[in-house]
Amino acid sequence: MIEQLLANPITLLCLVISLAVVVAGLVFAITSPRLFLLVIKNLRRNLVRTMLTCLATMVLVAMVTMIWTVIYTLDMVTTEKSKDFKLVVTERWQIPSQMPMTHADYVNPESPKFLPELKGMIGPNDFMTWSFYGGTLDPTKFTRENLLFMFVMNPKHIRSMMDELDTLDPALVKKLEDTRTGVLLGPERLAMINKKVGERIKVTSLNYKGINLELEIVGELPAGRYDQSAIMSDAYFNDELDKYARTTGQKHPLDNKRLNLIWLRVRDRDTFNRVGEIVENSPYFSDRPVKVETASSGIGAWLDAYRDLLWGVKWLLVPAILVSMALVVANAISISVRERYTEMAVLKVLGFRPNSILTLVLGESMLVGALAGFGAALLALLGINFALGGIKFPIAFFPAFFVPIWALAWGLAMGAGAAFLGSILPAQKACSVKVSEVFSKVA
Amino acid sequence: MQGQPIVRVRGVHKYFTRGEEQIDVLKNLSLEVPEGEFLGLMGPSGSGKTTLLNLIAGLDRPSEGEVWIRDQLISKMSEAALASWRTRNIGFIFQFYHLLPVLTAYENVELPLLLLPLSSAERQKQVLTALDLVGLTNRMHHRPGQLSGGQQQRVGIARAVVTDPTLIVADEPTGDLDAHSAEEILNLLCELQKSLRKTILLVTHDPRAAERAQRIVHLDKGRLVEGDTSTAIRPAPVGAVAGMQETAIKQQGS
Amino acid sequence: MIVLFGLLMVLGAIIAVIVVASILASLFAVGVAVAPVHKVPIRYNLRNMQVRWKTSLVTALAFTIVVGLLTVMLAFVKGMDRLTQDSGVPGNVLVLADGATDEAWSNLPPASVRQLPDDLQRMIEKNQNGDFLATQEVFVICTHMIPNPNPGGRKRRFVQMRGLDNVLIAADVHQIELESGEWFSDAGVREVTRNHNGSSIKDTALEVVLGNGIARTFGADVGKDSLGPGDIVQIGPRFWYITGVMKASNSAFGSELWTKDRSVQELFGRANSYNSYVVRTKSEEIAEQASKLLSQFRSERAMKAQTERQYYSNLTATNDQFRYAILFVAIIMAVGGVLGVMNTMFAAISQRTKDIGVLRLLGFRRWQILASFLLESLVLAFVGGALGMLVAYLLFDGATANSIVSSGPGGGKSIVLRLTVDGSVLLWGLVFTFVMGAVGGLIPSLSAMRLKPLESLK
Repeated sequence: MIEQLLANPITLLCLVISLAVVVAGLVFAITSPRLFLLVIKNLRRNLVRTMLTCLATMVLVAMVTMIWTVIYTLDMVTTEKSKDFKLVVTERWQIPSQMPMTHADYVNPESPKFLPELKGMIGPNDFMTWSFYGGTLDPTKFTRENLLFMFVMNPKHIRSMMDELDTLDPALVKKLEDTRTGVLLGPERLAMINKKVGERIKVTSLNYKGINLELEIVGELPAGRYDQSAIMSDAYFNDELDKYARTTGQKHPLDNKRLNLIWLRVRDRDTFNRVGEIVENSPYFSDRPVKVETASSGIGAWLDAYRDLLWGVKWLLVPAILVSMALVVANAISISVRERYTEMAVLKVLGFRPNSILTLVLGESMLVGALAGFGAALLALLGINFALGGIKFPIAFFPAFFVPIWALAWGLAMGAGAAFLGSILPAQKACSVKVSEVFSKVA
Repeated sequence: MQGQPIVRVRGVHKYFTRGEEQIDVLKNLSLEVPEGEFLGLMGPSGSGKTTLLNLIAGLDRPSEGEVWIRDQLISKMSEAALASWRTRNIGFIFQFYHLLPVLTAYENVELPLLLLPLSSAERQKQVLTALDLVGLTNRMHHRPGQLSGGQQQRVGIARAVVTDPTLIVADEPTGDLDAHSAEEILNLLCELQKSLRKTILLVTHDPRAAERAQRIVHLDKGRLVEGDTSTAIRPAPVGAVAGMQETAIKQQGS
Repeated sequence: MIVLFGLLMVLGAIIAVIVVASILASLFAVGVAVAPVHKVPIRYNLRNMQVRWKTSLVTALAFTIVVGLLTVMLAFVKGMDRLTQDSGVPGNVLVLADGATDEAWSNLPPASVRQLPDDLQRMIEKNQNGDFLATQEVFVICTHMIPNPNPGGRKRRFVQMRGLDNVLIAADVHQIELESGEWFSDAGVREVTRNHNGSSIKDTALEVVLGNGIARTFGADVGKDSLGPGDIVQIGPRFWYITGVMKASNSAFGSELWTKDRSVQELFGRANSYNSYVVRTKSEEIAEQASKLLSQFRSERAMKAQTERQYYSNLTATNDQFRYAILFVAIIMAVGGVLGVMNTMFAAISQRTKDIGVLRLLGFRRWQILASFLLESLVLAFVGGALGMLVAYLLFDGATANSIVSSGPGGGKSIVLRLTVDGSVLLWGLVFTFVMGAVGGLIPSLSAMRLKPLESLK
């Protein structure tokens, strides 16, 4: 958690700003309660304006929160970790990576072919293989609803290696292990194909021509990240490929390319470097050379196609939204200041120091900004994560994005920050109000 | 030289309801104003004089009774009909001038003409005539903020007469002016009445302003005060016109 | 939940009504402004905006940002659309293996037009040498290790390589011309001297032609504008000698490397295998007929044929995804802008209550007041919006960006697109500006219209 935070300076900055704003607000409310009350009263004077400004801040903060959620998640998965991180072993030179199944044996600690050099670096719980199987439930209709894309893997690696599935019910894993033709489906996928747990489905393959499967739905994957996913056991898949070879007399064209990814977990970067060196230089892999990289950098390479887009979002869209938010606040607060010009002069006559007037104006806009920002982030957090099931914006292989708890700090900091930027000039103007000028105008 | 009554107010009753309570502003009031008369309407605050003015100017409608202007029963007109009737028939002069601050004197005077079917050449002619009448042609491209109070009120008067209205209503036109400027404005009004034969309704509680009217009507608690009503027609002071011209010359010189 | 849904529906309906009413009212206001009817002069509004120039400026700037961003985002999608529309030659038929959702997943044996029935053969065009305009292509996405990567930056990228049996025919089929250099030789290899750890060594390099998009990307790696003929680049396990650069900026080929089919097949374990066939027919209609016949044609591997135009126009899933996302972002930003302009207009009206009262007394009608204030809001919006579009046009029109086009999640071609600010993008910008100005202006203008003249003068 802390490591994540440190890796994301913007979030850290937001957290610091939020804390500062809250502390400053509390100090202000406690030390000068009268002034604070005046701020509240002023806010209620033009309710329409306060509401409009508040609403504008809220929609814009909610928007940025959503955008940042996507960027933050992508940043997080592509940030290199220093401890207990995952590696992917894939075909060295081309996409999609297609390797012979034998490649897995050399790095599988439970296989007799396990490379002895790797002993002690990879434990039995640090290994997993993936094959991808795509098929359709209705070969006459290739619709999105009929498509089924599955991770083919050894069920006993699910809890130890799959992200966020370490808390999966062991009974489900057991069921998948026991049912050779079993499959676990994400809740949305299940709803989309209109099936229930216990029912059977027939899948006609798209990528493994001729390898058609009959599967039994044995359970549901947790909602969220795996909403659209499916996991089946590799035993059935491998058997079917072997059966194909026996019945047709020749191996399936993809027989020797059925392994797409190998996952490993290592303690630290040093182990990663050593594993990488051993595997990449091992003669056992020379027929189909492989590369070893951290999961983060692997995902990073996939996101490369989106880099201009992400750049635009990060450095054009988000700043522009923040600026327009500051403009809306600046507009509202400068209107208020102009309307109360006389009043500010009266306050000065009554002995208010310029600083108090500055605080009055800044306090007013920042209170609205901070509350609206926090509220918007809270609404986004609850609404998106619980009501909508994440932001459905598929990029590469991320089906949906979930708002992190830090969004509350983003919201507060953004709201208060934009309010500060928008009101600093009007506030300065207000506190430099010349009493004589105002009264000569009035008279 | 008085013609037929141009304003006929008959049995007018005006009340507002505030909650359960009914507040009578005008009670069974009747009044006639002959064409070309300069009528002063006096009375303490709350006496209903402004309400009466608003009824005659078609800004408001009576709860009961009739208001006739010439041969039009304006108390029964729809709001839309009233609005266009006002444009043609009423010239307004306000205490606080109520000029649009961003428009020049010329443009302010032109404003009511924009609602009439006139060519721009005709509009220009009429505006210049009106400005000439109040002696402000030399300042016509100034905005109200660049004019003195008296000058602003003269722009207001030009705006009131530019459409050649049947009736000019003035609500405390001198209320916000110093004595000298007030005098000028009153002179101007008298001159309008005399030279253009305009019917003028002046609401005021300033006796000096009321003095200039040919007839003064007193209102109190929503009724015309009997006996106090003077029907004597006073001629406008001789010096008025001369004074006005003098001012205009001074303005041009400055 | 149902209550919440109901509330949302009601809210949606209210918003829809407001938006529609605003648009109608604004069209009316514009009509009043241009028609020869009596109205509050527009200079009254302009002067007021001038007097309140700071507020006007700030409000207009908010519009500038929102509309400017919208324009840039739409220009991006427009660039993608252009690319998917312009890629593909009318009359070309693209054949993939049946069931392949993406070119990269397709797998076809070597083939020849001569194997086809006569009626199909007759549909296929020939060049002046009498050769069929037909090409078989092996397509791989391979890894390019970035030379001298920034510390902490990415170390490799994916590049798309296409191996061709006959590049001259392929260039003809795809209507691709060279920007510089020449096509690779039929042998596809050449002896080169290259720098290795400071000393020159002799090596056999494979010949390759780069799309101009990827040539620029590679150029940027080594601090040049673009790589060109004579440069050597390492991709996968081999060194490649660049013989030429293709002029293909606005098609998917701009991001591709073209080379001899053998080079790809040997290097990437694709012996005797292709991903696609492309043949040229006389016209789009014949191409459609040929697609049907080819899809029915029995061979050792079932085929799925479609016209190339069709293929590329199906690669719009990502375009659509971006389009919806942009629309969503734009609408949300527009809401912010609208609320801002509402603030401005409310303040403007409260400052000018007396003006409104006077205008009404002088005989101006409610609708004239409404039209006047609505027009003011529209003018404010248009000044800001037009500036935003102008800035977007000047800064971003023609700029290139990397993106991806695909027919669905998972697959995709990386492409280099050109941001395009054209008439339709500007039209959308204008529509947005108009709607924002209209919605932001309506409610305050209604409140102005409803002011009672007598009360507003008190």
